[in-house]
Formats: sequence, C-alpha cells, structure tokens
Amino acid sequence: MSFFRFDTNLPRDRGHNSGAPGFSQAADPFAGLSGRDNDDDDALDFEDTYDGLGDQLDETDDAFNDDTFGGGEAVAAKKPVGMDFDFFGQTAKVSDAISEEQARFSRQPPPAKVAPSTSMFTQPSAKPARTGYERYKEPEYMPEMQVDANLWGVAPKRSTPVVAQPLESPSTPGLASGGRKMMSLEEVEAAMRAQAKKPAPAQAPVPQQAPAPSHPQHPQQYSQAPPQQYQPYPQQPRNPDYPVQGSGPPRDDARSVPVPQPVQILQRNQQQPSPSQAAPPQPTQILQNPNRYSAEQQNRAPAVQHPGHQSRPSGSRHIITHPQQLANLTEEERAAFLMEDAKRAKRNHKIFLLSKDNGLMTPQDKNFITRIQLQQLVTATGNPNEHGTDAGLSEDFYYQVHNQIRGGPRQHPGQPLSNFAQTYLFQTGGRHGGMRRQARGGDNHMQRMEQQVQRAVEAAKNKPKNKQLVIEGSLGKISFSNAKTPKPLLNIKRPESGTDGHRPGSSARDRRPPGVNGSDRKTVLRDIENVYNTLMKMEDHARHMPPPITDDINPELVGLHMDWQEKAKSLNEQLWQQLKIHEPIGGPSTHPFIAFLSYSKGKKAIPRVFRHITQEQRTTILTMIVVHLDQLDVVRQAILLPGENQVNAAVREQVELFSLAVMPPLFGFLNEAELNIVAAVLGVICSRVNVDVIARTRIGVSMLTMILSRAELIKQGGDIAEQEWEHWVGQYNTLFDLLEPTLPNIFPGTVHTGEDVYVWQFLAAIGIGASPEQQQRLVMAVKDRVMETVALSKTLPAEMSSQRLANVNLFMRSIGLDVDLLVA
Amino acid sequence: MLFFSFFKTLVDQEVTVELKNDILLRGTLKSVDQYLNIKLDQISVVDELKYPHLSSVKNVFIRGSVVRYVHLPGNAVDTALLEDATRREAANSGGKAK
Repeated sequence: MSFFRFDTNLPRDRGHNSGAPGFSQAADPFAGLSGRDNDDDDALDFEDTYDGLGDQLDETDDAFNDDTFGGGEAVAAKKPVGMDFDFFGQTAKVSDAISEEQARFSRQPPPAKVAPSTSMFTQPSAKPARTGYERYKEPEYMPEMQVDANLWGVAPKRSTPVVAQPLESPSTPGLASGGRKMMSLEEVEAAMRAQAKKPAPAQAPVPQQAPAPSHPQHPQQYSQAPPQQYQPYPQQPRNPDYPVQGSGPPRDDARSVPVPQPVQILQRNQQQPSPSQAAPPQPTQILQNPNRYSAEQQNRAPAVQHPGHQSRPSGSRHIITHPQQLANLTEEERAAFLMEDAKRAKRNHKIFLLSKDNGLMTPQDKNFITRIQLQQLVTATGNPNEHGTDAGLSEDFYYQVHNQIRGGPRQHPGQPLSNFAQTYLFQTGGRHGGMRRQARGGDNHMQRMEQQVQRAVEAAKNKPKNKQLVIEGSLGKISFSNAKTPKPLLNIKRPESGTDGHRPGSSARDRRPPGVNGSDRKTVLRDIENVYNTLMKMEDHARHMPPPITDDINPELVGLHMDWQEKAKSLNEQLWQQLKIHEPIGGPSTHPFIAFLSYSKGKKAIPRVFRHITQEQRTTILTMIVVHLDQLDVVRQAILLPGENQVNAAVREQVELFSLAVMPPLFGFLNEAELNIVAAVLGVICSRVNVDVIARTRIGVSMLTMILSRAELIKQGGDIAEQEWEHWVGQYNTLFDLLEPTLPNIFPGTVHTGEDVYVWQFLAAIGIGASPEQQQRLVMAVKDRVMETVALSKTLPAEMSSQRLANVNLFMRSIGLDVDLLVA
Repeated sequence: MLFFSFFKTLVDQEVTVELKNDILLRGTLKSVDQYLNIKLDQISVVDELKYPHLSSVKNVFIRGSVVRYVHLPGNAVDTALLEDATRREAANSGGKAK
C-alpha cells in the first residue's frame, strides 16, 4: 500500500544494516551476505503478495492537491489562509480609527489623579499594595476602575516615550525614521531580523539585560523596561496575529491572549496611529485584566506585567532613560549605577515575589482565619477567666503558690499563662480600633471575632469530653489536646466498682471492725493522706470565705456566711474523724493517732491541723500526746542505752522534725493555756506516763520544760487562784519525786558531747519552781555534771567554754547561784 | 501539669539535665514548656573531656523526650508544697479517670 511507491517495509523488517550493528547485536559473521539474501526475498515476496488495491486508487487527477498544497486558482478564489502576515493591509484598515483615537486622546486634559512623571517612578512600590483588594472589590468597582485606568500609565506614557524616542535613533537606526508615523512591512521585517540577530548590543547595554522582552524567567522590569520603552516596533511583529484578533470580541481577547499583547496595544495607541483596531475603551479593559489577574498570570510570565505599568527604573538619582546615557557615564558612575540598579532590581524582585500572592485572600478571609486561630489559641491555653479560680489553681497549683510564697515576679497567681489569649485579643482590638472607626461599613470584625471566641470558649467548656472539635469552615479537626493535657497516650479506664472490687487484700483489712483497728503501715499512711486531703479542702474553703459582714445587713451575704460556716464545720468534723483522736485509749495496739505521729508526714500535718481546729480540740490533741508521751516513737526510740553516746541518725532526724513541727503548736497552745490546764497536763504525766523514760529523752524533757516554765510564767503574771496554785504545787511535788532518781541520768552521753543545753534548761525550769529543800536535792543530783562541765570548759577554747558555762549558768541562776563562784 | 508547674518555678535556677545519651548539661534553666522541652543557658558539660564538641556550646534547647533526669537545686524546691501539689494532682486526675 505504498502511496508514493515507497518501500513501506519498516527498517526492522528489512533487517538492520549489517554494516553498523547495534549495541545489542552481534556483528554479522557472514558480513552481510545473509542480509542481502533476505532483501532479495522481501522484494520478491512483496510483488507476490501485493493485492492490487493500490491500483484501484485514482492517482492521476490530483483533484485535491490544490486544497492540500495550495497553488493554482484556488488560492485567489477561496483565500482560505489567514492574513496574519499582511501587516500593511491590516494596519491600513484600522489606521484611521487609530488616528482618531490618538487625536481624541491628545485633546483630553491630563488626568488629575496622575502626576505625569513621578507616578511612573513610584508605581512599582505602590502596586503591591494596590493589587490586594481588586478581586475582592471587583463587582462594585469595575466601572470605576475603567475610569481610573489612567493610573496605570495610559496618560503619562505620552510624555516619556516622546522624549525617549529621538534618543533612540542612534542605536536603532532602522526605526527612527519611520518610527513616528508608520512603518512599511519591509522596515518592520528588517527590524525584526535585526533584533533577532543581535538583540543584545542594541537593546541591552547592561550585560544582564534580557535580550527579549518576553523572556519569561527574567524577573526584572528593569531589564525589561528599555526594550519595551525604546523599541515598541520591533516587538510588534512578534505578535503578528494580534491585529486579526483585535478585530474580534475584545473581552475574549483579554482573557485568552498572553499578556504582552494588551500592553503593546496600549503603547501603540499612545504613541502613534498604529495598526490596531482596538476601540478606545478596550485597551483600558485589556489593561485592567492583566493587572487584576496578575497573581495567577505572573506565574507563567512573571515579567510581562511590568513593562506596561512599572517599567521605569525607579528611584534612581540619575534616571537613565536610555542606554546611551549609560554609555556616556564614567566607569565609576556606571558601576555605581549598575550596582544600584541591581540592588533595586533585587528589591523589586523580592517585592514582586512577595506580592504575587497579594489579593488571594480578602480581608474577610483573613479575619476568618484569625478567628479560627484565636479559637485554637483559646482552647489551647484555656479560658483566660478561669485562671486564678479553682480550676486554674489546681492545674498549676505548685507554680502559683510557690510564686506567692517566694514573692515571684508576678503578683497575680493568674497571670502567667492566662492572660496570653486575652492580652492578644485586647491588643488586636486596640490595633484595629482606629481602623474600625474609619471603616465605612459597620463591619467590626473584631467584635464579631471576640464574640465568636467567647462562644467557642463556652462550647469548649461545655463539651470538654470531646477530644476534637470541628469548627465550621476550618480545614480539619481541631484537637483538644491542649497545654493541660498534651497528648493522652494512655487512657486507662478504671472499673466503676472502685477499689473494693479488685483489691481483696486491702479490702479485707479495710473492713476490719474499728475496735480492732490495726495500726499497720498502710492503714496509717492512708489515714494521713485522708487528713491531708481534708486539710487541703479546708484550706481551699478558707480562701472562699465570703467578705465579712458589714453593718448593713445583707441577707444574701449572711446566707453565704451561714453556708460557709456549715461547710467548714462539716469539714472540721471530717478532719477530726480522720485524725482518729477519739479511738479508745489503751487498746492492745498503738493508738492510731500516735501511729499517725510516728510518720514524718503525720508530724508535719500537725501545725496545719492546729490552724483549723478549735481550742477544745487542741486541748484534746495536747492531752492525747501527753498521755502517750512515752509511746511516741521520738521518745521510745530515743532512749540512750548504756554506753551509747548518740541515738542513730534516723531517730535524730525524727526527733528534730518533731521538735520543729509538733512542739511549736503545742507550745503555742500551752502558752495561752490557763494554769488549770497546765496542772492537769502535768497530772496526766505524773499519773500515766513513765517519767523515768521521758526524762531521758529530749522530747520528753522539752515537754516537761514547756509545762513547768508555763506554770512559772503564770505565777509571775500573778492573779491566780490560791486553790489552783495549790493544786499545781501538789503536781509539781509529785513530779519532782518521780524525777529525782532519774536526774543523774538525764544528761545525754558524756560531758564531752555537749548536747545538753535542753537539759540545763529543764533543770532551770525545775529549779525556779523548787522549794529550797528541793533545790538542795537538785544540786546534789547534778553536782557532778556541773563540776565536770566547769572543768571541761577550762580546757576548751574561750568561745566554746563560755557557751558551756552559760548553759550551766541557766540552771545555777535559777537556784540563786552563779557558775562564776565555781570557776573562781 | 504538675511537672510543668514545678519546672516553671525553677526558671533562672541552675539545674543539671541528664540526657538519655548520658550527657550531663549544667546550666541556667531559661524556660520550659508543657512537653518539658527545656531551654538552658550558659551551659557547661559535666564531662567536658568526653564531649569536647559541646564545649563551645553556650545554650541549648532540649527536647523533653530525651531528658532522663533533671538534677534539681534542693533549696529551690518547697517539698511540703510539692507534696500538696501532688495530692491535688492525684485528686484531679483520679477524679477525671473515674
């Protein structure tokens, strides 16, 4: 089926040229002989198998050859081919119209809005700001934009090119003569050729200038500008089809044709009657379009827009309008100019890159996004109002209280995290305040946004169980994992049944009847924790005390107070229960409260407990401690065995803690107690406690000192009933009798250890209240120790010596003596 | 939140951060976030000879997940308060879990 009687067999059918074997082919060992045979066979085969269909074709008439290849009369008759190349004919058709337009245009007064030349130079910087709102305003502002089209350089162009045109002639001689009016086809084509052959020297004295104005990659108007400005003609033939299209519907053109064309039409319109049929309003529309769609179109042809609108080298001190000027400059100036130009180009390029997305979002869009972001911000940081309240405090308890205690930099406990979102809201509100006032319409986005944030906060608060929130319009779900719960990795659900169900061991213990109440470690620790929890509740409750009732009776406030006191009372009862003070005394095991005190955190709880209980309850606690004084761990374990100088470190630590935590509240309470209570306490000690044991421990001795000294102070204060004092003296005598055998042993360790201050204090306390006869017995009991200490102090350095002697003197003075007598 | 709350109080204190790759960094705690990411300033590496490449580093941002220990300045910690804060935290989270 060979139309032109070619050999239709494909090369592969003929076999590869054996003289040049391919990469994968082995060289033909028969040197092509076999291939030749095949060729012959093929030729024969072709003839044999040819079905003769080709003979049926009518190949003689060449009937439609003219259609296909042109020629003959058909060309003249049908004229099917476009006249794209017929510049002259097309221009001739529209030249009249163009001339008219030119005349009309020149008669127009220069538009008031445009400063003829400066606007040209400021436009590049002004433009990015301008493009942002055009799409947004398009519907209403369309007509206005048409009128304003002068802004984009329609009018001012008139002056600049006219000035530039004469200068141009030396570099492009072919253009100058015909440039003003009309160019013949030959001239145009010659110019085209000249431009194509050597574009650089004529147009681009600056080396990095782009040779062709439509070069898509070259970003800069600076490089694009000169060709566009000086040589509008040479470029015109590059779009030879434009005149044809120009006669079509102009709106379509504007959208479909590449941008350079509208621009060029515009220029030609201004400069001279040039062969374009575009009607006067159309160029401006065309001009608008590239501008409005610049964001999208610049991706394709970044430089295209600039020649028309912002092509002049802007801001330069020497305004170089022509390459020739540049050539006339000195080397330094040129370098400076080029540098400046490059800098400017870089800057403009940056602006341009940044501005290419201008106008993608309308202000409403931006506000919408801001709203969503703020919502997320609020959900992330929590409700600003919630801080400083219970929720905020419990979340950030340590930090806030720590700062309060240590006087941190922030005065408000609620300040650190909270006010972030609120501050932000405030700031934006303030920033936009001025704008809002200026805004023509009543659209205060910020108000609406604030409201919406409030609503979002409400929603978030109401439904905190949702792990995510889909805010309308947002592109996805907003997770609720916020600052407080960063990421719930483990979500272990507890069975609803509580602890009893799956902890048989502990529950068995828990169910033990109270009478047999064991003081095993776990139970005691749980008791202590319960006390602490109640204490914290009470402390929280104390913070919520309503404002004090003033003179004018406010029933609501009174009600609040009633409620508050009721709650406080119930909490107090709860605490009292949990302290287990009222467990019966004298059970087989340790009393729960004493067990409570044997743990250091139990000891630490006492000062806090004392703040929240009544005087009566304090008395009970004091009594309870005193009754069990010899059972306290700090007493039992602190007794020195013979030969021991010191108790072990753990016990010492406990003793230290007890005297720091438990003793001060007891001491404070006792300091306000009446003599009858003091006497009663002493009576309890004498009757129920092993005085010998407590007298040999620091805590026991301190307790006794405390009681005795308080009684002495009450006596010195006077004003006591005779009967009470009698009672006290009776108790004292009992104690003294009980104590006397122990007195030689009450000193801890040997005289060298030197930790006996509290003993001297105790002896002083006894000595003050002692009768002369008792004082005698006292001196006899501790005489040895006194002498030892005095002897030792002589061997010690002066400072330590005086310290020791002062300790001894505490006692000596209390019985009317002075250590100086012994020393001397 | 407890740890975050706690570490916030240690800002501007000197701490030693032990990383999971055994590097110990001592420096001033500048900030901490809820992931316990840590910013340290004026750092010094405890074993300078072993990690010479860190000797010129002056401040670091440490991702919270790579921290093994933070050695605290004892006097900057209020133990009793911390205990209470822990109780509160336990009460809060216990209440949530139930």
